[in-house]
Amino acid sequence: MSTAAATHFDQAMKTPHGLSPRIQWLRDYFFEGVGREWNNEFSCWTTGTPWDVLYDEIAYYIVPETYAFFQPFISSTLQAAEPVELHPDFWDWSLVERRAWFIRKVMVDCVPQEILPGDLLAGARFNILASRCWNEKEARERNELVLGRAGLRAAVKWFHDHGYGNTGPTSGHLIPDHARLLNIGWKGVYEDLSTRYSQLSENDRRGSKGEQLRAMMTAAMMPRDLAARYSKLCAREAEAERDLERRAELEKMSVMLTRIPWEPAETFWEALQALWLNHMLIMSDENYPGPGVSFGRVDQYLLPYWQRSRAAGMDAEFGKEILKCFWVHANTAYDAMIRVGGNQGITAGFGQLMTLSGLGEDGRDMTNVLTYTILEVIDEMAPILEPKPNVRLHRNSPEQLLDTVVSMISTSQGAPFLLNFDERSMAGMLREAKEAGVEELINESNVHEYAPVGCLENTMVGNDRSGTVDSNLNLLKAVELALSGGKDLLPAVDVLTGEESPLTQDGPRSGDATAFESWDRFMRAYQEQTRYIVEKCVQVYDRGESIRARFSPTPYLSCLVRGCAEKALDITRGGPELNFTTLEAVTFATTVDSLLAIKYLVFDEKKCSMAELLQALRDNWEGHETLQAWAKFRAPKYGRDDAAADEMARYVMELWTGETWKHSTTATGRRFRPGMLSWNYWVGDGFIMAASADGRPQGQFLSNAICPSNGADINGPTANVNSVGKALGGRAGDGFGDWGEYLNMLPNGASHTMTFNPSLLRDDEHKEKFKAFLRAYCINGGTALQVNMIDAEMLKDAQKHPEDYRHLLVRVTGYNAYFTSIGRELQDEIIAREMHNAL
Amino acid sequence: MSIIAQAQAGVSSGESTVLNIQRMSTEDGPGLRTTVFLKGCSLECGWCHNPEAVSVKPQVVWHARACIASRACDAACGDDAIIRTDSAEIRIDFSRCTLCGKCVQDCPSAALELIGTQWDVDDLLQEVAKDESYFETSGGGVTISGGEPGLWPSCVTAFIEACKARGYHTAVDTSGMCSPAALKAIASRADLVLYDLKQMDSEKHRDFTGQPNERILSNLQRLAVQMREGGGPTELWIRTPLIPGATADERNIRAVGEFISAHLEGLVSRWELCSFNNLAGDKYRRLGRSWTFEGTGLMTPEQLLRCKDWACRSLRDASIVIATGRTRIECAGDSVRESSS
Repeated sequence: MSTAAATHFDQAMKTPHGLSPRIQWLRDYFFEGVGREWNNEFSCWTTGTPWDVLYDEIAYYIVPETYAFFQPFISSTLQAAEPVELHPDFWDWSLVERRAWFIRKVMVDCVPQEILPGDLLAGARFNILASRCWNEKEARERNELVLGRAGLRAAVKWFHDHGYGNTGPTSGHLIPDHARLLNIGWKGVYEDLSTRYSQLSENDRRGSKGEQLRAMMTAAMMPRDLAARYSKLCAREAEAERDLERRAELEKMSVMLTRIPWEPAETFWEALQALWLNHMLIMSDENYPGPGVSFGRVDQYLLPYWQRSRAAGMDAEFGKEILKCFWVHANTAYDAMIRVGGNQGITAGFGQLMTLSGLGEDGRDMTNVLTYTILEVIDEMAPILEPKPNVRLHRNSPEQLLDTVVSMISTSQGAPFLLNFDERSMAGMLREAKEAGVEELINESNVHEYAPVGCLENTMVGNDRSGTVDSNLNLLKAVELALSGGKDLLPAVDVLTGEESPLTQDGPRSGDATAFESWDRFMRAYQEQTRYIVEKCVQVYDRGESIRARFSPTPYLSCLVRGCAEKALDITRGGPELNFTTLEAVTFATTVDSLLAIKYLVFDEKKCSMAELLQALRDNWEGHETLQAWAKFRAPKYGRDDAAADEMARYVMELWTGETWKHSTTATGRRFRPGMLSWNYWVGDGFIMAASADGRPQGQFLSNAICPSNGADINGPTANVNSVGKALGGRAGDGFGDWGEYLNMLPNGASHTMTFNPSLLRDDEHKEKFKAFLRAYCINGGTALQVNMIDAEMLKDAQKHPEDYRHLLVRVTGYNAYFTSIGRELQDEIIAREMHNAL
Repeated sequence: MSIIAQAQAGVSSGESTVLNIQRMSTEDGPGLRTTVFLKGCSLECGWCHNPEAVSVKPQVVWHARACIASRACDAACGDDAIIRTDSAEIRIDFSRCTLCGKCVQDCPSAALELIGTQWDVDDLLQEVAKDESYFETSGGGVTISGGEPGLWPSCVTAFIEACKARGYHTAVDTSGMCSPAALKAIASRADLVLYDLKQMDSEKHRDFTGQPNERILSNLQRLAVQMREGGGPTELWIRTPLIPGATADERNIRAVGEFISAHLEGLVSRWELCSFNNLAGDKYRRLGRSWTFEGTGLMTPEQLLRCKDWACRSLRDASIVIATGRTRIECAGDSVRESSS
């Protein structure tokens, strides 16, 4: 029997409410999944050449679960592909022009246009896998670089199998200049491109600049042409429609789509329609559904349209309905692989992030009526995965906003949004400006315009691609290599074949750790190995970056990012004004705690010799349980607001971020910058990485982003928060930090998850206390916080009766995931964390 | 009175025995607080959920769940105070334990803990200062609880003064069972006093807590006079633990309410009824003690509401009554779960 309905838990599972019949239907229809007649599954399109490739694995190097499937994906997508009739001159054009033409052709002439019943927005199918448009020579050259024994694929796999992490340039992860597009329309973009083209010298026109601008002009016409198709469809459907109200809507849409997104948007409906088409075509252009393609500060740039339409008589509820249609559309990104996995392709893996509220000029708070309207939409649609909202808080956020935020947290298991903290975040962005010498682009007067992408990765808006999940490095690897003098502690195992690699001297010979006489000597070895793992990551990444720059242009996306037209350079070649790639560190707390444990066990308390510790790690702590207990329970840990332990955390942070800033990509000149996202790598890599000195055996999860190790934060939430803030740099004693007194070594920001029991928000008095906690987080904490309000008993019931909890959302690493769709181990960990906090 | 005398005589003014420091406490006064629990109590309430706070002396406790049976403690103890009842279980013979702390020091899994450590005021201040930002944003501060803070008037007053100098809101949680002078010294400095009125019948009070209640009541009346004369604290909360079979009956609750009406009119800004908490069984076992209320379950929400209703009806201003704490909820079919509403 279902117990969910009969049992009273401390909280009720979040359910949607206040939906009109139209939205209720669309939402329910979406969740019918494979049962639907219509879906947005990938469709495949080929040039028809025998060497064609549709699936570009490089974009998936940061998703290690896919490694085993590359070959089947490559062959099956080609097999499923329909040939597209090519322009007679197609093969005479440059690659970027071919690709621009091909994507436009597929989206306008090949992919069917459809409108779901009652839908107020056009733009349904966008998930495509299209030919990379390589000619035979290009395909050969590219395959040589990627495949084969010395190819990039093997290097990436080596990097992953040996526990370093993963790296590769992936799609999305940026905020396009949507505000400009709404403002000037594609017509304005096209005019700008043609002016620039006409100003090129004859020579430049014949060269790569001319190719790029011509390709971008082709791409700039795609939204107009597609909108025209949808306009005709709306007109046809209007004619056949018997419901007069619906017919009027369709007629209106038909007219609207003849104007926008080519012309500037005027009404709120037009703005949302244009925004949706502009956005969805990025996913088509990149052949990747929803990878952190983010919207930026929607409540700011959509506000004028909202106000104009409201003044002209638009009902607020109707405005919300358009937004809700937008929500449903964003979720259809998951249809890409709808037939894969137990949850119909809904994997939580995408991050179409939108940002709400936050600071404006002169320290002004920018919360407005649209902020609250969108929060209402989120609350009424929840639980649902996309788009992922992020609410920016700061020291002077209004009470009403915090009331709304806390009230929404109290009724949702995983808070329906992430919280970003402006002061610390802006400090990181200004640190980046200083480190990279781009103060003219990021400075005191515009840093408040920043917004997060994907989950929580801070970037500037409209001119910035910072590759925020391109490199994910396990810092812990440096501790392992320092212990073993530059070799893996245990032979790496190929997960596919089970074959063990011989131990080789991969890292520098940092010395025989068993002969080290002091802690300082060990730290020197650790520094050397940290330098090495960062360099290694940079080298492997750089190969992928160069290949993408040469073979995988995205001319449509390039139109949406400032700098590309100006330089006549594709976004994949370093076109944007701000050109970074982010090295996201994983295993931070495990690394800090391991260093603390080595110091404590071997040097300070002399509980064992270094040789004994090494043996214990090689034996995965088996037979060394007493020593493991010393490491786990007695050695100091990060996350307790303990000055000495947190100083170690700060030191580790300073070391690896310093190494990261030293590097740039060779082909595209993108500077590496540091961040801590962790995605879900801390789960999977826990099975790859050897046992660690903090007492963790192989097979147990690593630490998540900037969070303390699971269970280590025994001094409560405030101590946890204080440690996180200190690890980022804390606040400058003299008041002169990176922004105000705030210091922040991570411009990208860091994911911080905290889990609380719902009883903490049981009444208004306690909600006030939690508001105060968030306000203090602004002062002491990190850049971003995600809150889980979960009752462990409810989660246990969900494990027993998953069918009753299909829509139960929990927060993992900057994203919400359906509890029943995540692995049992991760479920258990989330429960354990809640139980730990309740003690 | 012996324990009070002992405390006053035996402990220097600079240090006190701290049982535990709980950060981000949401239940011991306004806002977010750091609660400092002092060790040593003048009462011995049968329902006490902090039994480790009763004795003034430090104690060694064994956490069965954390023990990995390394047997390091067997070797560490030179006083034969570790009695191995099983290969994986020990009992501490408190009559032999000299509190040398060696077993605690040598335990690899932190299964042995020495509860009660000496802190001086400066260190304590440094510790609570870590959460200064949370005090500021929440209107919270520091609460000194116990045990009975009134047993350590000189160090508690010194600590309150130090906290006030930093601008922290201060609260003292007292049973009222201490010398009038001690209570006056502490209460006149604190911003808020949380004062327990458990059982109005003195005989019953003695039965359940080991002491009659006359001194508690007279101390509270003196405090009322002090407040009326403007001699601080600025705020007074009354707390009544709702213990089934001991305090949670209509007669007692009405009697508390009548006392408030008769003597504290206009001075009490909150009367908290705290439902019985049954999570302390483990603590008693660790201390090698049995617990009178071992088998007592949580109250039902209806019982809690009934108590609240009695309380409200005994007062002119019912808005000061607040009922808190865990209650039980009947589940579909199987077990009983807890809720905290």
